[in-house]
Amino acid sequence: MQATLPTAPAFDRAAERARVQQERRRSAMIDFSVTLGTIALALLVGFLVMLIVGKDPLLAYSSLLSGPLSRSNRTGRWIEDATTLIILGLSVSIPFRARQFSLGAQGQMFIAAMIAAVVAIYLPMPPVVAVLLPLAAAMVVGFLVGLLPGLMKAYLNANEIVSTLMLNAVIVLLYDFLLTNVFTPPGSQSLRSELIQPNSMLLRLTAIFGVNLGRANLAVLFVAILVIAVWALLNRTPFGYEIRTIGANEKFARYGGINTRRTIALSFAIGGAIAAVAGAHLVLGVHQRLIPGIAAGLGFEGIVVALLARNNPLFIPITGVFYSYLRVGGDIMEQEAAVGAEIVQVIQAVIILLLTAQVLVDYVKARSRRARSVSCAA
Amino acid sequence: MRHITKIYPNGVLADNDVTFEVRAGEIHALVGENGAGKSTLMKILYGMERPTSGQIILRGKPVTIHTPHEAIALGIGMVHQNFMLVPSFTIAENIVLGAEPLRGAFVDRRAAIAATTRLAQEYGLSVDPEAVVDAVPVGMRQRVEILKALYRGADVLILDEPTAVLTPQETHELFAAIRQLVNAGKTVIFISHKLREVMEISDRISVMRDARMVGTIDKREADEHLLARMMVGREVFLDIEKPPAQRGPVVLKVRDLEYATEAGVEVLKHVSFNVYAGEILGIAGVEGNGQTELVEVIAGLRAPLGGVIELDGKSIAGLTPREVRRAGVAHIPEDRLTNGVAMTLSIQENLIVDRYAREPFTRGGLMRPAEIARNSEALIEQYAIRAPDGTLPVGSLSGGNMQKVVVARELSSRPKLLIAAQPTRGVDIGATEFMHEQLIKARNAGVAILLVSADLSEVMSLSDRLAVMHDGRIVAIFPDARGLTEEEVGLYMLGTKTMTPAEIERNW
Repeated sequence: MQATLPTAPAFDRAAERARVQQERRRSAMIDFSVTLGTIALALLVGFLVMLIVGKDPLLAYSSLLSGPLSRSNRTGRWIEDATTLIILGLSVSIPFRARQFSLGAQGQMFIAAMIAAVVAIYLPMPPVVAVLLPLAAAMVVGFLVGLLPGLMKAYLNANEIVSTLMLNAVIVLLYDFLLTNVFTPPGSQSLRSELIQPNSMLLRLTAIFGVNLGRANLAVLFVAILVIAVWALLNRTPFGYEIRTIGANEKFARYGGINTRRTIALSFAIGGAIAAVAGAHLVLGVHQRLIPGIAAGLGFEGIVVALLARNNPLFIPITGVFYSYLRVGGDIMEQEAAVGAEIVQVIQAVIILLLTAQVLVDYVKARSRRARSVSCAA
Repeated sequence: MRHITKIYPNGVLADNDVTFEVRAGEIHALVGENGAGKSTLMKILYGMERPTSGQIILRGKPVTIHTPHEAIALGIGMVHQNFMLVPSFTIAENIVLGAEPLRGAFVDRRAAIAATTRLAQEYGLSVDPEAVVDAVPVGMRQRVEILKALYRGADVLILDEPTAVLTPQETHELFAAIRQLVNAGKTVIFISHKLREVMEISDRISVMRDARMVGTIDKREADEHLLARMMVGREVFLDIEKPPAQRGPVVLKVRDLEYATEAGVEVLKHVSFNVYAGEILGIAGVEGNGQTELVEVIAGLRAPLGGVIELDGKSIAGLTPREVRRAGVAHIPEDRLTNGVAMTLSIQENLIVDRYAREPFTRGGLMRPAEIARNSEALIEQYAIRAPDGTLPVGSLSGGNMQKVVVARELSSRPKLLIAAQPTRGVDIGATEFMHEQLIKARNAGVAILLVSADLSEVMSLSDRLAVMHDGRIVAIFPDARGLTEEEVGLYMLGTKTMTPAEIERNW
């Protein structure tokens, strides 16, 4: 038997590179269209649900989809909500990139709001300092509150999901207790603290543009800086490299000489510091005082925003803006079309389910590749 | 099997129009490099995968096999590389599992033991029916797997790389058992990439390469060189040629090293040896005798319980992996695709895991993408890594090229000591050749190399000196690895023979 032995084909690097780049473009296109398709599908599900419960889906959808733009104060609500959600998404993305499922953003926001408020109410300060100092105090506390479960995970192997959720419960109840018994002035009609000093209040956009933009404030400009800072931290610093390497393969990181425990603990802490920025925004920019449940439920919305963006800080502004649009639109739909906000939650849930199912995207990619190879063969 | 084609959902073409025929009563070897499509072809035959197109004909009749159950019903049995046994059950229980003899609603244990004993005698596969699987050696577990297939009535037995986990002695026993099976009328398909074994055991040999069947030849017409050429598609050099070692000073000194697991099991017991500059010290031994732990303790991944580890006279015992690396130790890990790379990170990023925080890759607290890219371009070029672009995830490379990424990174750190753990495990001939070349090149350049390998022929032909580990101890150190026979080393591996401490110390 004399087998013919073809020599291995030469490896054409330039051609391979072109092929790879084409593949990448195609893959990005698929990611994008799957995302759009998912949203459409989710809206369709919501449409059917409304039909079934006998509501008018067209009216409901017109208020959901055009609501946030229908009046300037609603747009303001959208801006305000997006600001908080983007900051939160960034906060969550850091431990998530290290594959640490820290759910502590909720508690970190509450405690940060409280610290920022204490400084901004009780400590007289000149302008600018009156904003920066409460913010810095909140961030330090957020850092420490994040560090605790981080250390517990890194050195004691305590499950971070349990520890952060428990810590949230402690902090939220502590917040309620202190708000009721310490911060609410005696004789006050409702449960809320005093207003923060005027120097500490972030300038509202209404005052700048002369149209009523509700409580949206200067913090929105700060968001852009934060996005770039988090991106640079993850992609341009050794610490970010450590986080991403641990997230990709912790054993490999350790083998390569990365101090995995320190990095894991710090990823929680830095996430905590950024969540504290969101908490400070609620006090200094939005409510200008402490109110009950100031950040209720927001922590988990931040997780959604980060997951939708696949923990990529550059996509978080997009998903944050989109998601807050749905949230604000949902509220308006509830008012105008008497459709419960539950419908919006159904739509949100469907979107999250579909988008977080990476399998789906991979499936579409594989199918399209096969379809192409068949058409090439034909 | 006729014109079998299999395309996986991720687009990988595993088998491309493969036709494969096995005659009743023969031992048919199926050889090929990793990823050549052997395993997929056998999974199709065993009903674990469905072919995209093609036909299976058994005893003259076309059949469809969609599940292993259907394969078993047709008399096809498979012994996997990773045994699928219940560790806490006895051997007899494992053999009858899934088709238990019953007495009322209960398993008839006595009948199970009787059936096991009968089968074991009939085919010369000695096992202890009442022993718990967890407590018996690997060779016996493999016989249990074979008996299990026979118990289910298999006429055609597929053995997937059966010798990978065996000592030479155990391999001999397995081959004797295979011959007895064939004499009893069974048909055996033997998957391997160890050519010497293939030549020893099989009647006919089929070679696969790049998802295609290259050809089927009679053993009488074949020799190792022809088979290697068919597998790789070019001439390969199976014999390792190396100039005599230019032995320098002691680089690594290990004395009385002890290590125990968290559960308190002593894994390393007073291990002592030296590795000199410019030599390869091989450590042979059946897997699980402390080699993995030895490597990881030296690399800083586990903390020793006691003893001395010195590199160039400075203690490195108990340092962190980073400090050990800084001191001049490079490490090609045993399980490279799990520990040696991060699949989702880019090639560039994988190539700097030991040096990312230093100049030139980081300056003033910021990483420098241009330097990282330059480093990766240089290494891709130098080590002939087939990668179109350094920004691609490592996971997009073939297994062999991922290995090259690991080797490129570790050797480019300019180590004083290179630890290579199982450097050619799961690696095909082409990549094995590359790995051997690189190790010898590093040795000739004066690097001290500690080579740990369960592949006896590899460790014997590469090493200048050879140590043997058994049960956490060094039981022998041979000052010259040339002229040793596998059988002799095998006796030390099994613990039947040991050198005296004085003899070992003389050869440190």
